[in-house]
Amino acid sequence: MVVKLTDWLDERVGWRSIWDNVFKRKIPYVNWLYTLGSATLLAVINQGVTGILLTIYYVPTPDHAYDSVQYITTQVPAGWMIRGLHHWGASAMVVLSFLHMLRVIFLGSYKYPREVTWFTGVFLFLTTIGFGFTGYLLPWDQKAYWATTVGTQIVAVTPLVGNWLLRVVLGGAELSPLTLTRFYGTHVWILPAALLLLLGIHLYLVISIGISEMPKQRE
Amino acid sequence: MKENEKKQYLERYKKAKQDGVPWYPIILFKDAVVALLVFLFLIALAYFMGAPLESRANPADSSYTPRPEWYFLFLFQLLKYFPGNLEVIGVIVIPVIVITLLFLLPLLDKGPQRHFMNRPWVTGITSITVIGIVTLTVLSYLEAPPPTEEIKGDSVAALYTENCASCHGPSIAVPEGIDLHAVIAQGTHEGMPAWSGDLSTDEIDSLAGFITSPGGNDLFKQNCQECHQISDLVASNPIDLNEAIDQGNEFLPHAEVKIPAWKQVLTNGEITELLNFLAAPDGQRLFAINCASCHGRTVAYNEGEDELREIISQGGLHLEMPSWRESLSSAELDQLAAYVTDPVANSESKDLFDQNCTSCHGSRIPDSATIEQTRQTIASGGAHETMPVWGDVLTDAQLEALTIYTWEAAQGTSLEIGKTLYAENCASCHGTFGEGGQNPARADDIIAPISSGEYLKTRDNTTLYNIIAQGQPNFGMSPFGSEFGGPLNEEQINLIISFMRFWETNPPVDLPPEVQLPQDINLTGQEIYNTICTQCHRPDGTASAPLLNDNDFQENNSDQNIFDSIKNGHLATPMIAFGSLLTDDQIQELIEIIRQLEPELTESSITPSGPPSFSADIVPILEADCNACHGTLGGWDGSTYNSVINSGDNGPAVIPGDAENSLLAQKLLDTQETGTVMPPAGKLADDVIQIFLNWIKAGAPDN
Repeated sequence: MVVKLTDWLDERVGWRSIWDNVFKRKIPYVNWLYTLGSATLLAVINQGVTGILLTIYYVPTPDHAYDSVQYITTQVPAGWMIRGLHHWGASAMVVLSFLHMLRVIFLGSYKYPREVTWFTGVFLFLTTIGFGFTGYLLPWDQKAYWATTVGTQIVAVTPLVGNWLLRVVLGGAELSPLTLTRFYGTHVWILPAALLLLLGIHLYLVISIGISEMPKQRE
Repeated sequence: MKENEKKQYLERYKKAKQDGVPWYPIILFKDAVVALLVFLFLIALAYFMGAPLESRANPADSSYTPRPEWYFLFLFQLLKYFPGNLEVIGVIVIPVIVITLLFLLPLLDKGPQRHFMNRPWVTGITSITVIGIVTLTVLSYLEAPPPTEEIKGDSVAALYTENCASCHGPSIAVPEGIDLHAVIAQGTHEGMPAWSGDLSTDEIDSLAGFITSPGGNDLFKQNCQECHQISDLVASNPIDLNEAIDQGNEFLPHAEVKIPAWKQVLTNGEITELLNFLAAPDGQRLFAINCASCHGRTVAYNEGEDELREIISQGGLHLEMPSWRESLSSAELDQLAAYVTDPVANSESKDLFDQNCTSCHGSRIPDSATIEQTRQTIASGGAHETMPVWGDVLTDAQLEALTIYTWEAAQGTSLEIGKTLYAENCASCHGTFGEGGQNPARADDIIAPISSGEYLKTRDNTTLYNIIAQGQPNFGMSPFGSEFGGPLNEEQINLIISFMRFWETNPPVDLPPEVQLPQDINLTGQEIYNTICTQCHRPDGTASAPLLNDNDFQENNSDQNIFDSIKNGHLATPMIAFGSLLTDDQIQELIEIIRQLEPELTESSITPSGPPSFSADIVPILEADCNACHGTLGGWDGSTYNSVINSGDNGPAVIPGDAENSLLAQKLLDTQETGTVMPPAGKLADDVIQIFLNWIKAGAPDN
């Protein structure tokens, strides 16, 4: 009966070949440093899950942002833990992806035929930085407000288009309710969409090309 | 990488793969272990550290030191090395170059070598970059350590942020001479609410201090907050504040406390800021704290503002100093005069000063110009200063605020002007208290009270204005407005109206009591007396209702007078005409009852039965009315039992059992010919003086 059902599914979904190509595929001998990529993936999943839970209570307006964060921390069951995981998960994502990148650089994994994987990886890293920067403002506390004020001013230094860029980032001449909604939209829609797309390509390439082997000093 | 190298690599990789292990379960297991460890670590961080949340974002608080998330700190630090126009290098050029290099890495490093030892350039540059980032991050932490948790919140700044910042921004420039406390409490200007409902007086005072001297708030936080609540110190007596700062550890309440000598730690400017913060330059409060105990509510003063400033600043003249030539030798007088004129050069005469002068002058040496003049003053005695030299005590801003307030108060507030105008123009017909009465313009006409709450509540200011300005010819009231030929201009009429509005909350005329009697009155005289008359005619009844058992009342009114009063009532008082309610027989019955009332000794109900107690009755009066000057400024000292009895130039001030000859009683009653009555603001209330007299008569017990 079970065999019949799995056969039926395989005929239509082709899961056996996925199983063979993904799970049963052979991997060259690698050390523990090669787990940094999947550790980063875990951080991404953690951010996704806790982030989605946070949006249930979070209100992206200056009037309510701080109160809603306070409500999440003090009133929502396990809200403090969800917020804590999201907060520390952000740092973990930056640290792990940075270490992952160093591993790739030092072991030459970006070389032929994995250049495109590298390109997507760099974009993923920049996306992570973007997450960190936009997410920092959302609690709307003193630290958030002033760090963002200073951080966005940096944009204005760009030659020629600096002031225009600053207006785009802030949604006006200065940090305002528009900035908050802008950062919120970027943080929960634009960046996650970019992340999913890039991550999909990144993982597909890792699986299809295969993970790089440990290089030897003498070849 | 050449084609053959590519082929070589692919073959080598294929082999490595074949020699390798299946992803599931071996590699996946390793990944799962690491992922689990990472997740547990995150849970531990969330559990033990939590996610920080500082106070709500406050766009007005520009004093906040911005601090980016830790992984941006190295960029922040990097910026510091590219000041001014070079900023673009640190902000744009370097990051763009790094990111571009990073992105193009596979295209720049195309060789077949993969081991890091075989790629010195990439390995080297990457290592240097990583070391650089770590170093910059560490430097950033070292140079600007993260702000420590605030030990005690900045309560005043928070108060300001909550209540003022949303409209006023981070600071308010206050023009000189504004009574800030009143502005905050009453909300006098456009759109600003009155805060007195939401904030306590202390809070308003601390806000006033914060607004006028924000620097003082910081100094308070640094130096005082560890021991003092802001509410303890705001609006405390500037003399005490000054002494505390002046004397450091020698200030008595600070004797046991480990504090520095403030004069050495703080600059003069800082001390001024701190004082301005603690006792906000707010004339009304300063007057209440510093002056009211002697001068009462206002000071009668007709000269200019500058002269007033001079007088306050230099202290006043009004007590008599004894003629010292009777008790000191000529040489001693010379020494004393020299010491007073130049204390530093003549310090050997300090003992002389201490023995004779400090009891009144305290440690403060009077200002003097020349030795001759000083010697003359000391030798002959006479008038000399007793009002504190406020110029030494108050900061410039405080002195200015106090002067302006006192001067303006002396000019008469609008209420008082309105009262005068009313008395001049209206009182002759409407009565001093607006109680009305016989219409002088028309016989048989009674002018109704205009000061009752009912009258005022049903007439708005425009109506009152029109009545006053246009008059009421039908009732014999001539127009008072200048536009209708009357004597008063618009402002004066408005002042009268605001004076009348004052009655609304403090009605001087009572409405008749609610008299609820059954239709068919068959009450006895005694019942009527008990239920109706005593509503007003009782010891604590309406002030205007005479006590019927009073001797004066009984002697001055014939039966016919009383009969008429009851039957016809008194105009414009709660005493209505009871003739419509009571029969003549009942009124006669009432008169008999009134005549039989026992005269009572009214005094016994006011003064306490036993002899007054020093600690319970005398001390509170001394503290409230005397000790602001006596005690700190020398002369008679009202602070302890012994000093009350014995101290002073002409002591003892109290002769137990003999009130008439006790100096204290004479000063209070103004029977002493030397000097003025005490307190200088005017005699105390009779019953308060009576407490003193009773106490002295009872032998001035120390109980």
